[in-house]
Amino acid sequence: MRFSILLFIILFAWHSPAKASEKVLDIQEIKSKSGIKAWLVEDKSLPIIALKFSFKGAGSIHDGIEKQGLAQLLSNTMDEGAGDIKSQEFQKILSDNSITLNFSAGRDNFGGQLKTLSRHKDIAFNLLKLSLTQPRFDEEPLERMRQANLARIRSSMGDPDWITARLMNDKAFEGRPYALNSGGTLESLPKITAKDLQSHVTNWLTQDRLMIGVMGDINKDDLVKLLDDVFGSLPPKGSTDNLSSFEIQNTGKIYLYPQEIPQTIISLALPSIDVHDPDYYALQVMNYIFGAGGFGSRLMEEIREKRGLTYGIYSDTTNLDYTDFFTINTSTKNNSVKQVLDIIISETDTIKTQKVSQEDLSNSKSYLIGSLPMSLTSTDKISSILLSLQLNNRPINYLDTYATNINTVTNEDILRVAKRIFNPEKMISVLVGKPEHIENTIKIETLPNVQ
Amino acid sequence: MVKHPPSKNKLLSLIWGFILSFIFILPVEAKVFNAESFKLENGLEIIVIPKKTAPVVTSMIWYKVGAADEPQGKSGMAHYFEHLMFKGTSTLAPGDFSKTIRKLGGNDNAFTGQDYTAYFETISTDKLAQVLRMEADRMVNLSPPPEHFASEKNVVLEERRQRTENDPKGLFSEQMLSALYTNHPYGTPVIGWMDEIKEYQWEDVKKFYDIWYAPNNAILILSGNITAKDVQPIVQEAFGNIPKKEIPPRSRTTIPPSIGSTTMVLNHETINQPTFQNVRIVPSYAENKSDSLALQVLQEILSGGPTTRLYKHLVVDQKKAISVGFSYDSSALNDSTLWISGTPAEGVSLEELENLVENEIKNIITNGVSDLEVKEAIQRLQDAAVFVRDSVSGPAMIFGQELTTGSTVEDVENWPENINLVTPQQIQNIAQKYLDSENPWRRTSITGHLLPLSKSSAERKEDLK
Repeated sequence: MRFSILLFIILFAWHSPAKASEKVLDIQEIKSKSGIKAWLVEDKSLPIIALKFSFKGAGSIHDGIEKQGLAQLLSNTMDEGAGDIKSQEFQKILSDNSITLNFSAGRDNFGGQLKTLSRHKDIAFNLLKLSLTQPRFDEEPLERMRQANLARIRSSMGDPDWITARLMNDKAFEGRPYALNSGGTLESLPKITAKDLQSHVTNWLTQDRLMIGVMGDINKDDLVKLLDDVFGSLPPKGSTDNLSSFEIQNTGKIYLYPQEIPQTIISLALPSIDVHDPDYYALQVMNYIFGAGGFGSRLMEEIREKRGLTYGIYSDTTNLDYTDFFTINTSTKNNSVKQVLDIIISETDTIKTQKVSQEDLSNSKSYLIGSLPMSLTSTDKISSILLSLQLNNRPINYLDTYATNINTVTNEDILRVAKRIFNPEKMISVLVGKPEHIENTIKIETLPNVQ
Repeated sequence: MVKHPPSKNKLLSLIWGFILSFIFILPVEAKVFNAESFKLENGLEIIVIPKKTAPVVTSMIWYKVGAADEPQGKSGMAHYFEHLMFKGTSTLAPGDFSKTIRKLGGNDNAFTGQDYTAYFETISTDKLAQVLRMEADRMVNLSPPPEHFASEKNVVLEERRQRTENDPKGLFSEQMLSALYTNHPYGTPVIGWMDEIKEYQWEDVKKFYDIWYAPNNAILILSGNITAKDVQPIVQEAFGNIPKKEIPPRSRTTIPPSIGSTTMVLNHETINQPTFQNVRIVPSYAENKSDSLALQVLQEILSGGPTTRLYKHLVVDQKKAISVGFSYDSSALNDSTLWISGTPAEGVSLEELENLVENEIKNIITNGVSDLEVKEAIQRLQDAAVFVRDSVSGPAMIFGQELTTGSTVEDVENWPENINLVTPQQIQNIAQKYLDSENPWRRTSITGHLLPLSKSSAERKEDLK
């Protein structure tokens, strides 16, 4: 879920309310001759260039049940040889020149990153071009990556956190592509062929879906040339789909996957709102006060600080292309599961019936607005922000107006958005462990889409 | 405990301020980080690392005390104490440390190792003075209300359940280290054993605080868009009037030699993928600088990426493994560890893969490594040092970890040059010295087999025949 991580970064805000003339980041929007667009922040302080790119809507959502794991296997294999250069030789050039080039598949998007010392930029961009336009998909590396994925699945099968996430995806997204195992299954991975990988590239890695963020030691003119060279020959358009938005499924149900462990993993989810919803900023503030803020958040205060019932509890919002949801994750010893769940529900009641205090409101804004510089401390972080702003269809001055948008949130807004989110009958619960005193659970004996 | 309310001692701090103007800031020659360093009269050492990308600073205070300095029977106390450092001082309510940092737009946390305990905040540079005053306050004025002792103990128990008890692999690694470090505190996990965590009381913990927490037993590392000149007055104001203490020597027991081989086996229902691990003691950087540098280059040659020896030979060419690891940890005050691990390909037994890895090592012991391999490995390591600078907190972590485990500022800054001096001959020598299983260095290694419940290692072997 790379997308949600990127999104989380932008939710932090910056240093001080920006003056009209003052920009948080000096972002240049550039367009190459062949029409490739990118957002660039130039910075010469280190001899490093970081480029992140994504093909929107080209992720594992298109895998299908028979070929689960296709986009992920593609991401593992695209840097294993291209053009005339075979896998080991390709990796050797990357490693000899200290170039990081890799691809990643999210549920929605398929992307990648290139990070290089500026002295190796020509080699680096050329390897990126080759891997995007002439990936080899030779049998040897494909088989090697397939085996690595199978071993990863076998290793994860006993991990209670992994089991929890798998079960939550399966039930919350039931009937939709998101419910499938984007990491593949023991049966699906062997069915994926080099031809499947090539079709995914041809159908989905197209210019109309491409978004790019660049940070570091490169100027506009050089970048424009490199963009044309690397991305200019990709097909302008490819396949389309007709997926539609939905609300998370199986709400009101409690799923239990029994495991002989001393601590139960608890994962809860509720339907949430879109990034362009008018209540989006109110949700960020509410979420911070409720459970995203770590120490000082209501969940952490009540469950960890006052009662010592957990090591950590966090809430979060996730926005996928076709659904939005609010999550609460924690773990506690088996005989305190009921107590923890009761406190969580009681906190949702409190925040949707009682206005938050002015102090809570101003402290949370102060954090959300004050902490943006922390997400601007490396070329990686900045290039990620440049990309995620584009993926979320934000204007280029989004960061400059963020403080104002957060500052306008009132405690009435928070009450309203808390009422929109926290409807107990809309909550889906997943428990993994041996929880005591929990009734009306639906027991899951076999984890779906793993074997 | 020394009471240190910030409002008193104003006169004293003025005097200190005067004295301070005579302390020279020593610029370290332009190297990896271009760090500056200075020391206060009370012994607090300060390292300043410039990084100008954003108006942000990471402040880390590293205390030269960790789990390995705990009294016997009080395992996990250094870590439990680290949690209590957030539970209030004479002027700050429990939990208010972190809440104040959040209010200022920053993040904070802490961690405990065998040799150190570190507390850190990342925050907008203009808030640094306030953060340092709070950090100085809890260096001497910690006084958590008793009702918080028990609830925080429960938090630590939940932490242990989450990290270790819920994960048989975690429990197993703990037991391997315990078998390796006979008679040495590194054999006890930092978080402590479940039964011992439950036992100790505030009196035990306070004794630990009173002995070890002092300016002359700490290093303050500031990384961000600041200079030593900027921060000197605020560091002086925050920490200058905390008196130094007599710090006891860190007496560590020694590890006796061992004979015979040890293989530990775990068959568990949650394990579906067989793997092996092997751990041995080797010198840390603090114990043997030149051998440690050679071990770092050897690690890069063996497992520095998909084109280096172990992966290339065993995963790509021979198809006997899914992954192979060779991991040397150079940072420790006493003997450090070298872990070798492997996940076999389907149809390959753990023993077969172990033998293949052993052959790779024997090959280096007998034939050495090529000039080109060494040159390429060193180049990759040197390039990595450039990427490390692309972060605010990363360099602070490196300095803290190295300086609290016996390295100097020069060692950190000159690392790319020092690593460049490693020769192929040296690598062959250290391979002979530390990796020869027929002639082990001081102790034989410990091997661990992690296997599914249904079949023992022996039965699996039978299946393959």
